[in-house]
Amino acid sequence: MLPLVLLVLLSAGLSLRVDDLPIVVQDFSASPASREFVDAFGTSRSLRVVAWPVNGPPEDALRAGVARAVLIIPAHFARDIARGIDTAVQLLVDASDANTAKLTAGYAGQITRAYNQRAATDERPRAGVHAAIRLWYNPGLSSKKFYGPGIFVLGISMFPPLLAALAMARESEQKTILQVYVSSISAHEFLLGKILAFTAVALAECVLMLIALFTYFELRFAGDPTPFIAATLLYAFCVASFGTMVGGTIPSQVGAMQAVALGGFLLVFLLSGLIFPVENIPAALRWISNFIWGRYYIEIVRDALLQGGGWPAVWPKVAIIAIIGAIFYTVAWRGMRRMQLES
Amino acid sequence: MSPTLQRLRALIVKEFGQIRRDRRLVMSLIVPPVLQLTLFGFALSATVSNLRLGVVDESQTPESRELVATLTQSRSFRLGGYYPTADHLGTAISEAKLDAGVVIPYQYARDLQRGRTTTVQFLLNATNANTATIGQAYAEGVLANYNATLRRAGVTASVEDLASGPARRRAEVHLMPAFLYNPGLVDSWFVATGVFGLLLILNSSLISSAAMVRERETGTIEQLLMSPASTGEIIVAKIAPLFVLLCLMMLLAVAVLKAVFRVPFHGSLLFVLFGGVLCILSGISLGTVIATLSRSAQQAQLTAFFINPPLSSLSGALNPVEAMPAWLQPLTVLNPIHHFATIVRGSMLKGTGLATLWPNVLALLIFTLVLVLLSIWRFRKQLS
Repeated sequence: MLPLVLLVLLSAGLSLRVDDLPIVVQDFSASPASREFVDAFGTSRSLRVVAWPVNGPPEDALRAGVARAVLIIPAHFARDIARGIDTAVQLLVDASDANTAKLTAGYAGQITRAYNQRAATDERPRAGVHAAIRLWYNPGLSSKKFYGPGIFVLGISMFPPLLAALAMARESEQKTILQVYVSSISAHEFLLGKILAFTAVALAECVLMLIALFTYFELRFAGDPTPFIAATLLYAFCVASFGTMVGGTIPSQVGAMQAVALGGFLLVFLLSGLIFPVENIPAALRWISNFIWGRYYIEIVRDALLQGGGWPAVWPKVAIIAIIGAIFYTVAWRGMRRMQLES
Repeated sequence: MSPTLQRLRALIVKEFGQIRRDRRLVMSLIVPPVLQLTLFGFALSATVSNLRLGVVDESQTPESRELVATLTQSRSFRLGGYYPTADHLGTAISEAKLDAGVVIPYQYARDLQRGRTTTVQFLLNATNANTATIGQAYAEGVLANYNATLRRAGVTASVEDLASGPARRRAEVHLMPAFLYNPGLVDSWFVATGVFGLLLILNSSLISSAAMVRERETGTIEQLLMSPASTGEIIVAKIAPLFVLLCLMMLLAVAVLKAVFRVPFHGSLLFVLFGGVLCILSGISLGTVIATLSRSAQQAQLTAFFINPPLSSLSGALNPVEAMPAWLQPLTVLNPIHHFATIVRGSMLKGTGLATLWPNVLALLIFTLVLVLLSIWRFRKQLS
């Protein structure tokens, strides 16, 4: 249940693209021409005009958080338009949130360009380049479709290793591990038993979260699902091995939990491009992301659910996940083997 | 000195001693503010720049090369390579080798020379809606500027146009955006100020729950109860040293904001610190409540695992509240982190004071009071 709640909550807490941003208009021209221009803003879906007293200083609307931007139309607007002179309007944007500020300025620019174009169409057509922009893979620009896969990966990277690490650390804490050492079970048998159990847990969680992805997040397989299935099996094994490795090295449950929280959450969340592009991380930190297992899995998941590139696009990433999983397993196995009594 | 004060002093000295000997506790007072703030602030950047743009140039003319140069000279796009056909370009985008592509048609230069409107196709990988929206606006902006230069060139080139031009020419509206409070559009200011709030509440609750639960785990709580100190004194002595240390942590975080991220301090620093103190108090109370609900440090930590994600993701600390689904937005009013983030951003970045931020301060005060009372009630109930 928790992974599902997390899926919905985190996607709400991370989505950045905003529609329907409040904007205040100060129309000093108060003419039919300026009202037509304001109407273009009022009817757009991306910006929403909110009321604000004309005589109040516009910055107050930004300070009070009533609006994200203020559009100021000068008194000479209608006169300029009537004379056929280009005229400027000012847009004050609250940039304390830089990303939303860029979105706001972009929306306002689009509306202004559309207004200019509409006004120009009744004339003789002019030379110019017109861009036909196609948005691939996510034409509705739904944020859910981007963050859904990211949080899906985060959920799988966090809970199964946490449980695996706790189970391993509990064995050392309660000294039941000693019984394993003196028994005839080999390190491989013991580890595989643990890991396969938590791989199954991870896969069960995976199925549960996939249902949420297909319903609440409205995603579908875009192409061949076999790379996704193969990668998911490998990734489940990889995270279960990671948890077992951590639990085996740190013999305290609290310590193991913190280590998994650091590895599973902080590294995967911040450094694998689940939410923000890896390219934006400063170069001094970026190289770390090459070693983060979640980074490869998220690219496979996005490919399967959005782009549909199939095996040619993702096979190296599937291989890397298998390699990282094998490394975790080997480290866990070496730790176990050293401690086991020679027979 | 009255016996109450004497006992209180003895208890506080004992608490400080306990904290000093707990290496993990001391670490978690210093490491998170520095590490989390810098890591989150730098890694969580939504900046859209240097999108890899693939080009299919079917026109192969000076005009088309000029368009490609205009597009790739901007900081938003960089040349990701030339492709022979649109199909190749499409495959490259689906394999995530490119973020965007432009297809310039065969008749591009001819159309422009004849004064006709020509259409180029622009493909954007919209997987990330935010990047796509900003990229789309960039592309349109670059093309609009390009058209404006074409038009100016065209008017001077053709005398005929000049003669009949101005009368027919329809005036255009130019939008002049000005970015207030953060003219350099620095992403990290928003994230760092948000993480500051997360840090104060989550770290306070983590540390206090660990400190509270330890007494129970080791069974020394019974000894405390048998001492002549009243429950009130025990609570105050428990909270006071943590409070002092967490306030120091807050100052450290403020220093990181100032030194590493160069966040401007336009408003009153005291005002921000006052909000921070309220946050620390509610964090400590939250931790106490968690501690009373759990039997061991491990259980307390797991409980925090359930409480922290909703608390942090529904706070608007890392993203604008408007970007959340409409049915979740009202819940942010119940989140102290949301109010603190509003106060920090309003005060530090915009220079706003109590006059506009009083609803947030009031809400934060109410939360703190409710949480403190709740924690005292739970603690007393547990002790009796």
